[in-house]
Amino acid sequence: MLALHNVGKTYPNGVRALDGVTLEVAPGEIVAIVGGSGCGKSTLLRAVSGLDRPTTGSVMLDGAVITRPHEKIGIVFQEPRLLPWLTVARNVGFGLEDRPKPERNSRVRAQLDRVGLTEKATVWPRELSGGQAQRVAIARAFVTRPEVLLLDEPFSALDAFTRADLQDHLLDVWADTEPTLVIVTHDVDEAIVLADRVIVMRARPGRLYEEIVTDLARPRDRQSAAFDFAKRRVLAALDRSLDRKAIDDGETRTEAGAAMWW
Amino acid sequence: MSVEAKPAQVHGRPAAARAPQLPAALRRLLLGLALPGGLAIAWELAVRAGLSDGRLMPPPSRIWQEFEELARNGDLLRHVIATLERMAAGFAFGTVAGTILGALAGYSSLTRRLIDPTLQGLRAVPSIAWIPLFILWLGIFETSKVALIAVGVFFPVYLGVMAAILSVDRKIVEVGRAFRLTGFAMVRRILLPAVLPAYVVALRAGLGLGWMFVIAAEFMGASEGLGYLLIDGQQLGKPAEIVAALLAFAVLGKLTDALLAAAAAPFLRWEDVYGAQHGGA
Repeated sequence: MLALHNVGKTYPNGVRALDGVTLEVAPGEIVAIVGGSGCGKSTLLRAVSGLDRPTTGSVMLDGAVITRPHEKIGIVFQEPRLLPWLTVARNVGFGLEDRPKPERNSRVRAQLDRVGLTEKATVWPRELSGGQAQRVAIARAFVTRPEVLLLDEPFSALDAFTRADLQDHLLDVWADTEPTLVIVTHDVDEAIVLADRVIVMRARPGRLYEEIVTDLARPRDRQSAAFDFAKRRVLAALDRSLDRKAIDDGETRTEAGAAMWW
Repeated sequence: MSVEAKPAQVHGRPAAARAPQLPAALRRLLLGLALPGGLAIAWELAVRAGLSDGRLMPPPSRIWQEFEELARNGDLLRHVIATLERMAAGFAFGTVAGTILGALAGYSSLTRRLIDPTLQGLRAVPSIAWIPLFILWLGIFETSKVALIAVGVFFPVYLGVMAAILSVDRKIVEVGRAFRLTGFAMVRRILLPAVLPAYVVALRAGLGLGWMFVIAAEFMGASEGLGYLLIDGQQLGKPAEIVAALLAFAVLGKLTDALLAAAAAPFLRWEDVYGAQHGGA
């Protein structure tokens, strides 16, 4: 169980990036965090990863306080951040250095197979496309079998087709061990395709604002009415978080009633 | 290390496509030789035709004679070995000191604030200006010469290593942190491979300066070495000997640099840079 208690982060220049964030994420749950730019969503993710320490409150995983990067917590960044001097296979195996070689090799092979890049095992990262490189980064994170995997806008630099493809890849690989996923995104479609729960954040200071449980069956049909409805609820919450009058507020509410009625 | 993997060859073109032409490497070599070769032939012809007596600038044939003469009586080998020994010792000391101090200054900002201002101050002194002091301190024999070469090699290596470590991509270092690397493991698995390309450049710059300073060192009273040969040729009025020594320097400089580059190449195949697509130097 990943638990955040009253997490706050104030930068040395006085900016309060996060304030009083309390959140529990169940094992195997997929949570998406959305919000306007500067709402602290990446700060939140970095605090959970242990790369940065919160100024107040604490992040706990299974009862242990996270103060530095933890072996049960993996992270995928916005850029692939592959090590250019290692081949694809050795990039994937980067976190398995302490394991015996046969185990390392077989796990790397299996993971590369899961993201469909078996034939790229021996090439340098420079020879990969953007989508392939991000798939390698995902494989590198999953191969250590983390309990919690954090993804910081992992697909935002990719084109729409590649993005949808990678979302499917991610869910596919997730299904193997079902770790907890916390994914920061500014793409509402992506949040709804992936998440059980979508959390909308609000800026200055960054805090949790609204929570939408998507409650859609997997695999999710991006064209379905239920998908569209969940999307509108998230968009309306985003509008409210930005203090904009939501245009279709009334309509959303009617549909919300209708959904419950169904 | 982890999975054994040989990177695939990507830049190789199919052999059939270039079969009718000269191999690319040979063509490049010929192109590089065209200018010096052409000038040498032109000068030889000019002297043969009596346009110049070639006294101050001997034609290639006379330089070659001088070369053969020096090679036959063993002088050339003796001088080359003397120079190479000094150079190797000075380069080794300068490189080791430059690498260690550069790495410390790059890795720890406390160390950098402590030693960098002093070293930058010392760097402002033209290295040849140290000669009188080195002779007083270390005598006129090998020690002072090696010290001078080491000083010449030290600064480019120190600066190169420090700058390379400071400019390692923060995002890559963060990957190391996310995988819980600290201290030596971070240096070995992230920093060292990341600075390697810049380090090779720094070593080559150090080597170049080393060759410069070996001459300066041999000008200050050596009894053997290529620098001695230069002075000897000047004092006895033998321009052919001077040019022969210059040529030996050129060959040695180019050869050592090529050796260094070739030794580093297998570790840098991963680089994704402009030069890699154009066959480099």
